Order: sequence, then structure tokens, then C-alpha cells
Amino acid sequence: MRSEWMPLFWLVFTLAAYVLSRWLYRRSGRYLVSPLILVPVLLLVVAVPLHTAYSEYAQNTHWLMALLGPVTVAFAVPIWQQRQLLARHWSALLVGMLAGSVASIGSSFGLARLLALDSSITLSLLPRSITTPFAMPLAHDLGGVPELTAVFVMFTGVFGAMLGGILLKWLPLRSALARGALFGVGAHGAGVSRAREVGGEEGSVAGLVMVLTGLLNLFAAPLLMHIL
Amino acid sequence: MNVTRVKKLARLLAELLVLAAIYLLGCQLALWLAWPIPGGVLGLALLLLVFALGWVKPAALQRGAGLLMAEMLLFFIPALMSLLDYGGLLRHEGWRILVVIAVSTLLVMLVTAFTVEWVCRWRLAHEK
Repeated sequence: MRSEWMPLFWLVFTLAAYVLSRWLYRRSGRYLVSPLILVPVLLLVVAVPLHTAYSEYAQNTHWLMALLGPVTVAFAVPIWQQRQLLARHWSALLVGMLAGSVASIGSSFGLARLLALDSSITLSLLPRSITTPFAMPLAHDLGGVPELTAVFVMFTGVFGAMLGGILLKWLPLRSALARGALFGVGAHGAGVSRAREVGGEEGSVAGLVMVLTGLLNLFAAPLLMHIL
Repeated sequence: MNVTRVKKLARLLAELLVLAAIYLLGCQLALWLAWPIPGGVLGLALLLLVFALGWVKPAALQRGAGLLMAEMLLFFIPALMSLLDYGGLLRHEGWRILVVIAVSTLLVMLVTAFTVEWVCRWRLAHEK
């Protein structure tokens, strides 16, 4: 293929792979064909043998990432719709989000240091527990690589949604609030869809907590930079 | 039938444009005030303010907002392809990164769930 057509090819291929995998996932319900896993695998299977550089891939696909901005604005809708839930349980949720965020950033930093990871990788790991539209700007602020953070966010989501399901069977959690917060703080978007399968209230709590934790982390960034 | 479909699509497009406009407004505002807050977050705050003032009902933007949030995966998949440039680094440090993610995620979930559960039980015991 002529090289000037490649950026266009990547855009079309990305969109087609996404539509295909979303269709497959809806039909089969199998996690392995969900867009979060199948699309990157398909793209890498073609891109790696062709020795494609990320800059070439991103030439036409970067505007898809730009849409994460309007997604952030759209988060206002679930926050507003769940405001009664928030008014009733704000104290438990706030304490939970704070504790979870400290555990996330603290343990990521500690473990990365312990395993002697590269410093740009360590910084990119810190925001991995929050949803991508917040995690990428936060990684940028901290001096990490936003794209790498997106990769780590994805792994966290895939692993966390699975782990959360197992934990719910074993943990003595009586409140739907705790079950929802577990998914919302621990596994962001992938966790929210898993929480919806557990129950309606768990789903709403997870969705609300996911957005609020992202905001909380972003506002804590200056403090975090001071500590680091 | 076809007319209603076109109307629905136009409506959806208008909602998406409004959300994008609020985002751009947020970006402009962040630039203008020289605040270190992402434009999207300022846009979110603006939209919440608009809802609180009752100028617009959330239902009016629900389809557009729902679509953006439902297809969010598509928007961050391109960032995952940065793996192309970091392949060597990740091959070298990959398993250690996965250990960090796995252990940290387990800790986050335990800490969050038990904290919320504990506060709920404490409130239940003290409100009665």
C-alpha cells in the first residue's frame, strides 16, 4: 500500500474493528471480544509486522482522542441525575474515594519503586485507577506519558472488572454502596459495566463514584506534585 | 417514519454539538483565567451550573451525553497504540508493571469497599 494512504487506512481500520467487536460482544457476551481487548489486539497484529510508528498511526486517529474532552463534559449528566444519592451518602462515598485514591497512588508508587521501575513509567502508573478522560491529563501534569497511562488504565479495567466479581463472592459487604464503590474506584469504566450486572444501585453508585474519583484525583494533582 | 428518524438524528447531532461547544468554552475559559484545570473539567462545572440554575434539563442532553459515554472506549483506543513505540520498554518491564497493577488494584478495592462499608455501619448504628 502507498505510504500516504496509511494514516487514512488506520482510521478506517480502527473504526471498522471497533464496530465489528462491539457487534460481536453484544451477540456473544464474551469478554475476550469486547472492544477493550479485541480492537487493540487486531490493530497490533497488523501494525507490528508493518513496523508502524505510533506517530503514523496517530496522524488521523488523534481526533478520536480529542473527543475525550466532550466526554468529560457529558459526565455532568450522571452527576446531576444521582445528586440525591450523593446528598444522602456523601460522607461514606467521600471517605471511601479518599481512602481508595490514597491506596491507589500510594501502592502504585511504592510497588513501582520496590520493583525498580523506570521513573516515567512510575509516574504514568499513578493515575491508572481513574477513568481515561481524567487519567490522561493527570499523567501529563505529573510528568508521565499520557498514552502509557491509557494502556495501564486499560489493564486496570480488564483485571479489575474480573477481580471485583471474585471479591464480591468472598467479602462480607452488606451495603450496595460498598459493592458499587469497589468497582467505581477500583476499575473505572469496565468496573461500572460489571457493577451494573450486579445490581441497579451498585451500577449507579459505581458510575457516580468513578466520575467523582477522577475529579478528586485531578484536584489533588498539585498536592501530589508537591509530595513527589 | 423516515422523517422522525432524520429528526432524531438531527437532535442527537445538536446535543453533541452543544456538549462540544461547552467543552471548547471550558478550554477557552481555562486559558483565559490561566487555571491549571483541564477545559473538560471546567466544561463539566459549567454544565452542572446550568443544570442547577434550571436553564437546561439534563434530559435535553441525555442522548448525546449517553452516546459519548457509551462509546468512550473508541476514543481512548488510539492511545493504546502507543504500545508500538514502547514495545521494547514494556517487554523489559512488562511483568513488573502487571504486578504493580494487579496488587495495587486488589488493595484499592479492599480499602474502598471496607471503608464505605464501615462508614455505612457506623452511621446506621449512630442514627438509631
